[in-house]
Amino acid sequence: MTLFVFWILLSASFDWIHLSLGLACSFAVAWLNSGHSPFAPKFRLWLRVSLYLPWLFYKIVQSSLHLSKLILHPALPIDPQMISVETKLNHHAAVVLLGNSITLTPGTITAEVDRNHLIVHAMDKVSKEDVTSKQMELKIADIFRDEKPDL
Amino acid sequence: MGILSIIFIVAGLFFLIVAAIGVIRFPDVYSRSHAVSLTDSLGAFLMLVGIALHEGLSINMLKILVVLILLYILNPVIAHATVRAALRSGLKPWQKGDS
Repeated sequence: MTLFVFWILLSASFDWIHLSLGLACSFAVAWLNSGHSPFAPKFRLWLRVSLYLPWLFYKIVQSSLHLSKLILHPALPIDPQMISVETKLNHHAAVVLLGNSITLTPGTITAEVDRNHLIVHAMDKVSKEDVTSKQMELKIADIFRDEKPDL
Repeated sequence: MGILSIIFIVAGLFFLIVAAIGVIRFPDVYSRSHAVSLTDSLGAFLMLVGIALHEGLSINMLKILVVLILLYILNPVIAHATVRAALRSGLKPWQKGDS
């Protein structure tokens, strides 16, 4: 179903041949992949994730402006360093979300992940604070608070 | 609508230029990848929003939205892969005080 909507979106033509071809293709792909899909939609989880995204976007804009200021500063006042962070998250998806959020905010990049131990490369003191303040981790732990731990 | 889209595109261009300057000025792979991630997170975002506004409410706007979502999913994955490859091959990160 989702695949068919995606097909319509991409082809943008509504004549008979296109629609039937798209329907056949999306059924074929869904049938071929039906054996090994662990993906089950959880609406409560997705709702919480979508409430988290605006906050993440705000952090992205904030740290982008900070990084632009660093780049344009004549003296280039950067102090890059590797920091290692332990998280208390006990979910594969939660750790993935945390790592991606850290990488997505400019100024910090997740360099290595090992279960719940992250190595983060940070650009300067201010971006380092973003990671060490655990604010992001608490929000993600809040999203996953009702899920069964699998790590 | 036209003016708004021009404002967005110009702002996006500004951040793309800043990111390009950052790639040149920063000392090593790790810090340069920060500058590259600035390109995707604000530069490309503002550009695409500007183009979507210019396009108006049509199927192309939805396509641009799909591109935007894919960009935001793929960008951290690629940045992480690059930095991890650099780390695993044993490259030491530049520190304050190195030349």
